[in-house]
This record gives sequence, structure tokens and C-alpha cells, in this order.
Amino acid sequence: MLNFEDDPTLADLLNSDQLVRLNDCLAALCTEPVTLGSTRPDTHAIPVEFNLETVAWLSGGRDDQERQAAAGLVSFLMMFIAKYRLAANLHHDTTEASYAELQRQNEALRASEARYRELSDQLQQRVDEQVGVIHKTQQALYESARLRSVGQLAAGVAHEINNPIGFISSNLRVARDYVKEMQTMLPDTSDNQELATDFTDLLNESIEGAGRIADIVSDLKTFSSIDQADYTRCNINALLTSAIHLVQTEYDHQLHIMEQPSELPDISGHPSRLSQTFFNLLDNAAQAIRSEENSRDNGRILVKTLEQDGAIQVIIQDNGCGIPEANRSRVFDAFYSSRPVGSGTGLGLTVAQDTVRAHGGRLQLHSREDTGTRVTLTLPIN
Amino acid sequence: MPDFSPRDNKLALKVVFYGPALSGKTTNLMQLHSLLNPERKGELMVLETRDDRTLFFDMLPIGLRGSSGLDLRLKLYTVPGQVQHDSTRKAVLSRADGVVFVADSQANQQENNATAFGNLEENLEKVGLDIDTLPMVVQFNKRDLPGVVEENELQERWAQTPWSPLVMATALHGDGVIDTFRILLDRLYAAADAEFRLEADHDISRQQFVERLSRNSENEAPRAEF
Repeated sequence: MLNFEDDPTLADLLNSDQLVRLNDCLAALCTEPVTLGSTRPDTHAIPVEFNLETVAWLSGGRDDQERQAAAGLVSFLMMFIAKYRLAANLHHDTTEASYAELQRQNEALRASEARYRELSDQLQQRVDEQVGVIHKTQQALYESARLRSVGQLAAGVAHEINNPIGFISSNLRVARDYVKEMQTMLPDTSDNQELATDFTDLLNESIEGAGRIADIVSDLKTFSSIDQADYTRCNINALLTSAIHLVQTEYDHQLHIMEQPSELPDISGHPSRLSQTFFNLLDNAAQAIRSEENSRDNGRILVKTLEQDGAIQVIIQDNGCGIPEANRSRVFDAFYSSRPVGSGTGLGLTVAQDTVRAHGGRLQLHSREDTGTRVTLTLPIN
Repeated sequence: MPDFSPRDNKLALKVVFYGPALSGKTTNLMQLHSLLNPERKGELMVLETRDDRTLFFDMLPIGLRGSSGLDLRLKLYTVPGQVQHDSTRKAVLSRADGVVFVADSQANQQENNATAFGNLEENLEKVGLDIDTLPMVVQFNKRDLPGVVEENELQERWAQTPWSPLVMATALHGDGVIDTFRILLDRLYAAADAEFRLEADHDISRQQFVERLSRNSENEAPRAEF
């Protein structure tokens, strides 16, 4: 493109029609016709200068004087034509530059708008996510409030039931003894014997039922932390050993439990709640290997402790039935139990998890159906 | 950028008179047109508009021929000083070889001077020129008016810049116009000689360059010292 400051040529200044007209005008003024051209036609032609530049050659005319006069006139005209051209070209250049600048700004504006639109979308998405989180938290809060009230209720009920169940249990045992005594006093008929035996069975079942009620009450009391004692220094291995003894007693010493304790420092904790936790986990493991009736003798429980990264790890692992995947997400829910009604409170893992959390630790559960379950307790050393 | 075409043995240099509105850029050029008598001098192209304000630019071509036949031309341009004509200023400033900054000496115009100088810096950068290496002269014009800032104060203010000392002028009466132009020619020569070997190839010395291009119609002795 021609720059506005480039020296103009004759063609830039005049188009061919204008040149013909100018030649006609000049010819009319001169006695002989004159011709203006961009090249030098003969040696008589004289240059028409404009701004130090020879823009044209003038030929024809009667003599040099006439040619000079005509050239002077043309130069004079050229100045105004060139002025106009300069202004027009500069205007064109600057307008184009301004337009390009505008387009650049427009492009930048567009890009910035797109960026803000994207940001705004992201913001909306974030807000939606946060609203979701708030909803979830509210739900969880509601659930936990509900559970707390259920827990308080359970604790109250447990407390109220504890005394009556105590004397019911003890009275039933006394009653069974009485039945035994009465049996010897009765005339020895088969009807009487049958009645007495049945009576004893009834009482035995009632005693067992009362025992189960007492167990549930005890679990509930632990769960709702009724008898909360102060934290003391705990020896985790010792607590585990006593929990293992308890479970063995419960299962008539039929369990195959392997212990692999490591030397551990004492940690600050709540001994009875930790014991309860270990007991619950061992009981779960025992249930898992017992329910697998065919391979009953192969059932094993591994109890292992170790110190790692400033924390104590307790691993309780069994090779029992495992937890079906469908149930896995619910095992920590309070009152959820896979056992037959009446044989579990559904609080075992809930209590265990709450206890571990209260100690600043965490409880991880890995399970595969028909292969076994591993529970890992991590308790910080403090 | 200087425009050199080896085929025609023609070198065109471009000098731009820059500055705030109404500081006297066109007056400088008109005085040069009437005072200078170089070997070759073209028409002063003044694109008049209403109120005598420059809308596009003014242009004065002058020139000389070297002994090698070099056709050396100097095109002197002014830019419109008014703020709104910035794109025109930028277009005229592009490919400049030298700049004369014409400032207004009146005390109340100092802020305009500063704004225009900032604008010059900015536009030079935009057209790819470096204000620190471009040959440039700063002229404080309108010394004849009352209420001008004292010369001492101005010289002191600019003492630490590459454009010290400043040239004082009253362009309306022709005072200082040629001095300014000669200082510019001197600085321009250094740059042009370095690139085009004016002295070696074309036998044009610094003194010749300055003298022949600033030859004075009244033949008065040059006042500027080199």
C-alpha cells in the first residue's frame, strides 16, 4: 500500500481523464499544443517539479518560454492536488489504523466477556455445589440430633430397666431353685414330672431372655456414655487380652484367636470404652467365622498391634463370611444389624467408631464377602 | 526509519515537530520556510483548517546533492497538537529520524507540556522507536510572552536529561528557530552518518550537512555552538 508520505507520481495525482483535460486547457492557453507525460519524450521537454521531485515532463509548445510558463502553472496546480492527496491518504491511513485498533479492542472485550461469562458459570456451579454441601450437612445434623435424642431416650430407658431386670433375673434364678425343690416334694407321676420339667425350661428361657435384656442395656449405656469415667493411661495390649478372654468365655473357648502384639507405649484413653470397642469387634469377628458352618474349624481371628508413624494400630482380622457390598455402607449406622432379631443391638460398630473418633483416631474396615474382614484401628500416641 | 533507495541514490530523512496544542509547531515550520535558503527547497504544504489549527500536518521538503550524486532530502513535518488527533500524530511520527519537541514556556502550560511529552514517549514506543536514542531537540517557545517560566528553572529541570541544554525561542519573530534546527541537524547527522556513511561514501561532512541544510536567507552568522 502507498504510504501517505511517499512521493506521488503523476498517476497518483491525476487520473487519465483529468490529464487529458489539463492538456486541453494548457493547449488552449499556448500557441502550440503542449503535452504532459510521466516520461521524457524528447530533449526539449522540461521537468515539472513538485517538492523536489520531478513528477512529469512537459513537451510541445512554441518555445522554451511557453513551456516554462506552462510548467510553472502545472507545478502550482500540483501543490493543491498533492495537498488534497496527502490529507486524503493520511486520513485513510489513520482511519484504518483506528479501525484496526477498535477491532483489537473489540476482540479483547469479547475475550474478556467470555472469560467473565465462564467465571460466572463456574461461580454458579460452585454456589450449587456449596448449597448441596449445606443441604447434606443439614441432613446429617438433623440425623445426628435425632440419633442423640434416641440415644438419650435409650439411656433413660436403659437406666430405668436396669433395676427391674436385675431383680427379675435374680428372682427367676431363685424361682428355678424353688421349682427344683418343689419337684422332689410332688407325687412322682409322669404328669407332675413333665410339668415340673417344662416349668424349669420356661424359667431357664426367661433367665436367658433377662440376661439378653441386661446385655442390651449395658451396650446402650456404653453407647450413650452414661458412666463416663475420666481418661487414664491405657495399655492397649492388656485391654485387648482381657477383651479376648471375655469373648472366649462367651463362645466356650472354642475360638481360634492368634495374638501378635508388639511393644506399645501407654496412651491416654477411656479404658472401659476401648475394652467395649475391642470386645464388639472381636464379637463381630467371632460371629463371622461361626456363621460359616461348613468350615467352622478353619475359622481364625488374627489380633495384631503395632506402632507406626506416631500412632498405634490395632488390626482385628477374620477369615469369616465378610460383609456383602450392599450392606457395607450401612455397617456404621446405629441400630443396623445383619444378625437375627434379638441377637444384636446394631450398635457394635457404631460404638466402636464413636469411641475411636473420641480418641482422635480412625477406624477403617476392609471386607470381602466369603473371604473375611479386616478392621484397622488407628489411635494417636499422646 | 530513513528511506534510502540505492537505485535513485536518494536518501529521505524525516523530522517531526511534536508538542502540545498551540505551542508553535507550524510557526516554527513557516519560519524555517521563509528563513532557510538551502540548495533545494520545496513548497510549504500547510493544510489549513478553520481557526488555524493543524488538522492533519504541515510539511516542508528541503534537500541537497552530495558530490556522489546523492539526492539527500529532509522532510519536515508538524503533527496536530490537539489531544483528539492522536492517531494522526502516530501516523506522522512513524519512521521519524528526528524529533523537535516544541514546548510552551508559559507557566500555565507546563502540565500540557508534560502530557504531550508523555504522549510522545508513548507513541514512539508504539511505532517502534526509542526516545533515548532518537535524535531530538527540546525547544521552549514563546519567550516573548509575559508569565513564562524562567530559563534557569527550565534548564535546571531538564539538566539530567539527554536533551539538555534546552533551546529558548520566539518562533513568531524567528528567534531560536534556526538554532533549534541546526542542533537537530547536528544530532541527526551522527545517526545518518553511522548508517549511510555520508562522509565516506558521499563526501558530506558534519559541518557541510549542517551548513548546507540550514543556509540562512539573511546570511546571518550561526549562533549555535557545536
